Amino acid sequence: MDMIVPLSELKPGESAVVVDIAGGSGLRSRLYAMGVAPGVIIRVLEKYQFGPVVVEAGGTRLAVGKGMSAKILVRRL
Amino acid sequence: MAMKVIALAGNPNVGKTTIFNALTGMHQHVGNWPGVTVEKKEGVFEYGGERFLVVDLPGTYSLTAHSIDELVARNFLLNGNPDVVVNVVDATSILRNLYLTMEIFEMGLKNIVIALNKIDLAEKKGIRIDVGKMSKVLGVPVVPLSAKKGEGLGELKEAIIRVAHGEVEENPIIPHYDPEVEREIEHISRVLEGTKLASKYPLRWLAIKLLQRDEEVIKLVERYLGKEGLESVMTHINEVEERYGKAMDLVIAGQKYEFIDGLTHEFMSYGQASGDVLADQLDRLLIHPVYGFIAMAIVFYGVFKFVFAFGLPLQNWLAEAFTLFGNWLAPHIANQALRGLIVDGIIGGVGMVLSFFPLVFLLFFALSFLEDFGYMARVAVLMEGILRKFGLPGKSIIPLILGLGCNVPAVMSTRTLDDEKDRLVTMFVNPFIPCSARLSVISFLSAIFFGKDSALVAASIYVLAFAVALGSAWLVSRFVSGESSPFVIELPEYLIPSGKSLLVHSWERSKEFVQKAGTVILLGAIFIWYLSNYPAPVGTGRSYAEQIGHFFEPYMRLMGLDWRAAVSLLFGIIAKENVISTLGVIYGSPEAIRDAMTPLQGYVLMAVTTLYIPCIATIGAIKAESNWKWAALTTAYMITVASIIGILIWHLGIALGW
Repeated sequence: MDMIVPLSELKPGESAVVVDIAGGSGLRSRLYAMGVAPGVIIRVLEKYQFGPVVVEAGGTRLAVGKGMSAKILVRRL
Repeated sequence: MAMKVIALAGNPNVGKTTIFNALTGMHQHVGNWPGVTVEKKEGVFEYGGERFLVVDLPGTYSLTAHSIDELVARNFLLNGNPDVVVNVVDATSILRNLYLTMEIFEMGLKNIVIALNKIDLAEKKGIRIDVGKMSKVLGVPVVPLSAKKGEGLGELKEAIIRVAHGEVEENPIIPHYDPEVEREIEHISRVLEGTKLASKYPLRWLAIKLLQRDEEVIKLVERYLGKEGLESVMTHINEVEERYGKAMDLVIAGQKYEFIDGLTHEFMSYGQASGDVLADQLDRLLIHPVYGFIAMAIVFYGVFKFVFAFGLPLQNWLAEAFTLFGNWLAPHIANQALRGLIVDGIIGGVGMVLSFFPLVFLLFFALSFLEDFGYMARVAVLMEGILRKFGLPGKSIIPLILGLGCNVPAVMSTRTLDDEKDRLVTMFVNPFIPCSARLSVISFLSAIFFGKDSALVAASIYVLAFAVALGSAWLVSRFVSGESSPFVIELPEYLIPSGKSLLVHSWERSKEFVQKAGTVILLGAIFIWYLSNYPAPVGTGRSYAEQIGHFFEPYMRLMGLDWRAAVSLLFGIIAKENVISTLGVIYGSPEAIRDAMTPLQGYVLMAVTTLYIPCIATIGAIKAESNWKWAALTTAYMITVASIIGILIWHLGIALGW
């Protein structure tokens, strides 16, 4: 249960805690500012085969690109 | 005495614009921040006989050096000496909004008012906020309001006045980090202490930004402390990160959220939420890989219907009115040259600028509605995957579709894109999309040359144009510097926008179009008038226009066309429909055109007319949205591409025996 997985692995309805973001500093700072940072709880709302992942974080809905969602590492709740 | 300055800061989609409008009414001015194409909105706010200058900072999620918008906002807060900073916070997502608030607090400002907007929505969502407690915890005045409903604005104004007059003792809370991080902040602060840099910027802010490896602050340190000073600081930071095994910006951001989370527990609690089922369902529909595209087609068809059903009659009516005015004025001017200049050049030119106004206004109205409603973010999500392959962001679908109507408002709508690079590339390829004026040329020529097959032939021109636009985007995006943003976008709450804010917004935008693009169009109209009347009018064979046509004849021959096509294309620069009317004047009748050219030549002319140059109104719009250099580059690129494609089609056609 304590496995760390990329956000792209989660299914709609699952919640997780952000652990790490593996990306350049531009990507990281953008994510922090939009509410995705280590320790924040996020919940997956929608996910499509080729499209982005729609998540809820800090009371806001965000759409995260497919490539980006693979770089956000989370721990399932 | 100089006016006191109020700066408005906040995340996108928090209702900052609505608050700005409520404070300033119609006393607004839209311009650019010096040196960058970030929109700067200013307005005057009057209260009790006192006047204040309100500056609307770009809506940002944070204040890093990673985007121009954020730098502009940050530099104004640091160096612009605002007397009051109004931080607009969305009560429905306090956690994320306070991230920006904490960044502002860390700058050491002590003249802040928090406008806690959408308080009514928060209550509906079951979020309970003790405003008095929040104000005490944060150490600055907090005013709850619902800007859309107009509730709480009076209290906000009073709070602004009190802070402006220095009647409020503020003590903004500053985020605290783990002891280890604090030790590093202190260490770096000691290194910087006493330097000239430290007298200009808050010490703690500098230290934190350095730990986050902020490019601009690194440059500052290098300027003030020299290469060695910078190196010693950076070596230290490298050591710290090695010890942590993690980048410091990650550590700091995480701890900042932890700190904010701790604060919010003191004044906020979640009650029974009435879940947003409707929004969930709407999202599921609008970004669905199948239904989403159907919904998008319907929405944009509706926008088109709306804009052109109301706009085109108005445009024709205005153009007509100017023609009538010119005809009425003409006999009153004795001097023939002056008459031509005034009637054909100036009145014709001004008439053209103003006749675009209804279209531009209605388009901005429809777009603002979709943007405020929250639809634009969903379209961006839907199109991202496809358009990114061509180097365009998902949101650029909007200018691309609008271009089918008119490229002028389409180019102006590129400002809804977040990145400078994305804006430039989208603007660059937009004129390739055939506008309604070119539709009239395409349908006219395909009808006379291809009869039964004209629809198919016309469709092939559209396919060609879109292929060229996307191919060019792919090519150009490789050369424009700047990192395009990684894709993460907020899906704002669905909201029915208020009519007043839509009107104010569209009025400002369209007024700006007339002011900025107007001069270019006017000068162009006068220039073309001159070419076609001197030294003798067109038809005599001696006008400069015809001389230019003959000059280009050898070049036109490469694609199977002659001087007549060159003259038509020259006049098409003013407005593309002129290509037909000029051909009409030169040849006399559609039959004469058909007899003089082969279908292959007709096809080449259609393709070239579609691709060869932006009309002067579009050039004006591109210049207004970027700069002269970019407008010139777009024009030169289009001429080159159109020539190459014209020549290719002609020779391919000949080789295939068409």
